[in-house]
Amino acid sequence: MAGHVPTNAHYSHSPIRSPSPSRPFKLFRVTHAILLFSHGSVLCGAGETLFELARRMEARGDATIVEAGFLNYSEPTFEEAFEKCVARGAQKITIAPYFLVAGYFVKVSLPPKIAAMSEKFPNVQVKVAEALKTHQFLADAIVNCANRALEPEKWRDILNTAPQFCRDNPQCPLNGTPQCPLRPSK
Amino acid sequence: MKTALLVMVHGSPRPESNGAMFDVVEMVKARGVFDFVIVGFMECNEPTIPEAAAQCVAAGAQKVVAVPYFLHSGSHVADDLPTLLEEARENYPDVQWLMGDYLGRDELVADVVAQRVREALV
Repeated sequence: MAGHVPTNAHYSHSPIRSPSPSRPFKLFRVTHAILLFSHGSVLCGAGETLFELARRMEARGDATIVEAGFLNYSEPTFEEAFEKCVARGAQKITIAPYFLVAGYFVKVSLPPKIAAMSEKFPNVQVKVAEALKTHQFLADAIVNCANRALEPEKWRDILNTAPQFCRDNPQCPLNGTPQCPLRPSK
Repeated sequence: MKTALLVMVHGSPRPESNGAMFDVVEMVKARGVFDFVIVGFMECNEPTIPEAAAQCVAAGAQKVVAVPYFLHSGSHVADDLPTLLEEARENYPDVQWLMGDYLGRDELVADVVAQRVREALV
């Protein structure tokens, strides 16, 4: 699998062969973390998509460590997630913007945050990946999403399950409605 | 049954930000899975989602599958888009309206993220 092939040019040009495909150059490789960076949402539970993605990518070995961090509203923050990667032993962190395209939040909001964390952890190597942009897999994903289409009575399932992720956020659209477990309507 | 795909997109004050999405939608069109494919925007750009819904009906669609081109299950996917689709359903009750999963729900997104990470490490 491509994910297990060392992508560093130094390794790929090395005459030394990996002892086994499952343990490629383990001794020489730095501990790599992927930090999924996302905007965040006022709706309670909205971050679950990203946590699930992080769990799945870590489980299948896209990197030793995969964490998620948010710019606004949702927790953990980008900084907290970065520190979590370091605490878990990351020597190299690739920040993967979980955005369709790199707009204001990726181009303007993110760089000073990275600079501050690099200053705090000068020994950690940081790379920034591109946003999702265009990919055949996204076209496949649209078709998959269409194949799982739901009847009208299920269109609000996500909203109806949001209260179970309640984090007492006054900006959540459910706050002050009968559905909010902590601050229901009076 | 004539089926339309309505890709529901957030929209951007910078229209050039929609370029990558339009490229992906062209890929979907090229597969010929749907009789009619159209993008509808929630904000900023046109056609709006209600306008795009009307165009699906005008194109003769008996069934419209609306897929949110969103990465998260935030307020738009959970609340705003269902509201727009309920309005379309009221306006065109003879058409079957279905709402697809939001893009970020699909497992293939992980493969795209992983590829972007690998590209950054080269």
